[in-house]
Amino acid sequence: MADVLFTNVRIFDGGGEAPFTGDVLVQGNRIARVVKTGFGARSQPVAGARTIDGAGAFLMPGMVEAHTHFSWNDQPSLDAIQRMPPEEHILWCAQVAERYLDMGWTSCVGAACAKPRLDVVIRNAINDGTIIGPRYLAASQEITVPGGLGDTTQPHLPQSEFAFGAVVSGAEEMRRCVRTFAKWGVDSLKINLSGESITGMPSEMSQFTSEEVRVCVEEAKAWGKRVAAHARSTWSIKECVKQGIEVIYHASFTDEEALDMLEAHKTEHFIAPGLAWLINTCHNASEWGLTPEVTRKMGYHRELEAAIESMKAMRRRGIRILPGGDYGFAWTPHGTNAKDLEYFVKYVGMSNMEALLSATAWGGPMMRMGKVLGYIREGYLADILLVDGDPLSDITVLQDKSRILAVMKDGEFHRAPEMHAAARSLPMTRWAA
Amino acid sequence: MADVLFTNVRILDGTGETNPYTGSVLVRENRIRQVGRSTAPIAPGGATVIDAAGATLMPGMCEAHTHFSWNDAATLAAIQTMPLEEHVLWCAKVAKKYLQAGFTSCVGAACAKPRLDVVIRNAINAGQIPGPRYMAASQEITVLGALGDETLPHLPFPEFSFGVNISGADEMRKAVRLFLKYGVDSIKLNLSGDNFTPQSPAETTWMLDEEVAAAMREVKIRGKRGVAHARSSESVKQALRHGIELIYHASFVDEEALDMLEAKKDEVFVAPGIAILYAMLYEAEPWGITHAMACDMGYQIEWDAACVSLAKMHKRGIRVLPGGDYGFAFTPHCQNARDLEFFVKYLGFTPMEAIRCTTLYGGQVMKRPHDLGLVKEGYLADLMLVDGDPLANLSILRDPKRILAVMKDGVFAKAPEIAARRQWERAA
Repeated sequence: MADVLFTNVRIFDGGGEAPFTGDVLVQGNRIARVVKTGFGARSQPVAGARTIDGAGAFLMPGMVEAHTHFSWNDQPSLDAIQRMPPEEHILWCAQVAERYLDMGWTSCVGAACAKPRLDVVIRNAINDGTIIGPRYLAASQEITVPGGLGDTTQPHLPQSEFAFGAVVSGAEEMRRCVRTFAKWGVDSLKINLSGESITGMPSEMSQFTSEEVRVCVEEAKAWGKRVAAHARSTWSIKECVKQGIEVIYHASFTDEEALDMLEAHKTEHFIAPGLAWLINTCHNASEWGLTPEVTRKMGYHRELEAAIESMKAMRRRGIRILPGGDYGFAWTPHGTNAKDLEYFVKYVGMSNMEALLSATAWGGPMMRMGKVLGYIREGYLADILLVDGDPLSDITVLQDKSRILAVMKDGEFHRAPEMHAAARSLPMTRWAA
Repeated sequence: MADVLFTNVRILDGTGETNPYTGSVLVRENRIRQVGRSTAPIAPGGATVIDAAGATLMPGMCEAHTHFSWNDAATLAAIQTMPLEEHVLWCAKVAKKYLQAGFTSCVGAACAKPRLDVVIRNAINAGQIPGPRYMAASQEITVLGALGDETLPHLPFPEFSFGVNISGADEMRKAVRLFLKYGVDSIKLNLSGDNFTPQSPAETTWMLDEEVAAAMREVKIRGKRGVAHARSSESVKQALRHGIELIYHASFVDEEALDMLEAKKDEVFVAPGIAILYAMLYEAEPWGITHAMACDMGYQIEWDAACVSLAKMHKRGIRVLPGGDYGFAFTPHCQNARDLEFFVKYLGFTPMEAIRCTTLYGGQVMKRPHDLGLVKEGYLADLMLVDGDPLANLSILRDPKRILAVMKDGVFAKAPEIAARRQWERAA
């Protein structure tokens, strides 16, 4: 791993200030130096470091995806995801993990996987260098109740292998389930507290008993694991606050009480609404039979409106809203995740700056690495993107792979910037020996 | 895919008949378009020109007895206890390593869980992972108590077994049909024992003729291939009687077996996998198997017998191919080209004959005798560029630094380094 000096870059450091022109020195896997330089100033080369003249490109922290499902396989239904055999499924996950890193997501927070160990194995394989991927927190399968979101068994096919999630009923089954996932080595337990309209159980319904939820949280804490909840309904959001469930996915339907509770505990929770799912299910899924009439009947249009209002209210109250969510369906394919930032600006009323911070500054604590991740600052881990263009004036540039010139994770280039010299004159003759 | 012209190469064409000569080779799309025999290169016509500065250009090698799913562990049990998900990722990693080591084709010789080989082959063919051309095998099919039955009295579950344990023709038929359903290219039968498993040593033969016949009927109906673990003389004859094409090991052969092999020499292949015998005798001590223990297990007797048997086969023109049982702790993956050195040192091959086993015979064992395994116009562009002369020193074929480039199907799996790329320039 050679040290790298980025010169002549516009540095967005994740602190919320306007970017400045300067140099960033990476030594080992850390950011060793960040300096402002004047216009036209010439940087001194650093001994042993490779110098990369950024030519004014935008340098920012690697992005953090807060709600990732590597094992969703870009199919139109839970059933179609579940039917992929485990051998193919793990190769799929490995392929998708690399795609996230390609697109500038240097960290991802797993939000559930489709078979018990997929997330854990992928995290371990990334960490030991077997495969290439972002920093990753591994999730469990979705824990649900019979008939709830994620129970895809059929009356004549009752085997648990047919279920998308892990189906439990009662406190002791919950305890056993949590312990099993803890044994596999997950970082977080995913519990489906509310319904999901497409599965027949409306989003505003909540299926678990408080006692089951309590046992889930109790066991998870005993093992030092985090709990994350699929929580679309008002009851489920309040339950997350009451029971101390740190990560709240969706949070579409809020009332004043729920908002007050969230605001009172805003340093303890992260919200990742996954707006992409709602928006694209409402408007871009006709090809798969989900025309706007169908999804309106299901209730998704009403939910989208409610979710937008909820997010606006949360933003006003300073509650942390993070990008990511439910990419990996046919109409929300993996790799398009940066659309979430555009949605935050377009629908929630965030400024481009706020949207960018939601993927960087808040990503560090979401990864439980708040002291070392999410900023371009001395001593922080060198997860760095080099972007052609200015996301602060056009947030959509982050959706375009060709505009993300380089991706560095942990001090190493996953995608190195293209060399000027190579682009100018491709040598006709290459010397092999 | 850019066309590529290799100039200034020493062409080792893989036929085993032509001495290397200086020339140039033009690759267009995935085929060898033109082979020039003159020092004046072929006109590039838009192709990327690679001046090889006298390096050897030869066909990509073929490994005839590959186990991607052996995980460099010292026991069958340690291979088997790797969970499924990790096992798939391991196989994917190994497949890439084989390709970069110069093996552009591999013949799967059994995998450790039912679908590993099939899934890896499909993923390679779909472009999802890099790897050699691959023929997917089944698990080892064995009988209770023989090589591959790793169940224990108190753990009788099939998941504990390295191979699939059958007893009787009906169970055999069912096992074979299941693997054919999964999409294997070959069915692996453990006909003989193995000194690795003391309860079923190498000279024992385990399967009933009716069991083998049931398996081969299903295999032939679906146009697939039967392959056999056959160390004993009796098992070699059994394999030949039932039309098994690919015979692994064949350490002990009597005159009758040799005659039968010779009579079918245009149909059958022998891949002895002698590296494991050598390694057990001389290189397994770090894993607790001393030379004396290996001798007790019968490895010295088998090694001596195998050297004689294989040398006789070679003299009779029976095709003996490299590869075999790499993937144990004492025979780690990607040292496979060492087999060629063993062929010369112990079996009486010339270096040219040894290379022919991995090129010309490789195309034949991959069932592509007309367009794979040679540097010849019209053949598939599976090529490797080697720094040095493999005929003078076969060991360079297992030195990653000396394998300058590997091309499979016209695409570089390992691209030659460009001088300019060594100096990092300015970016963006």
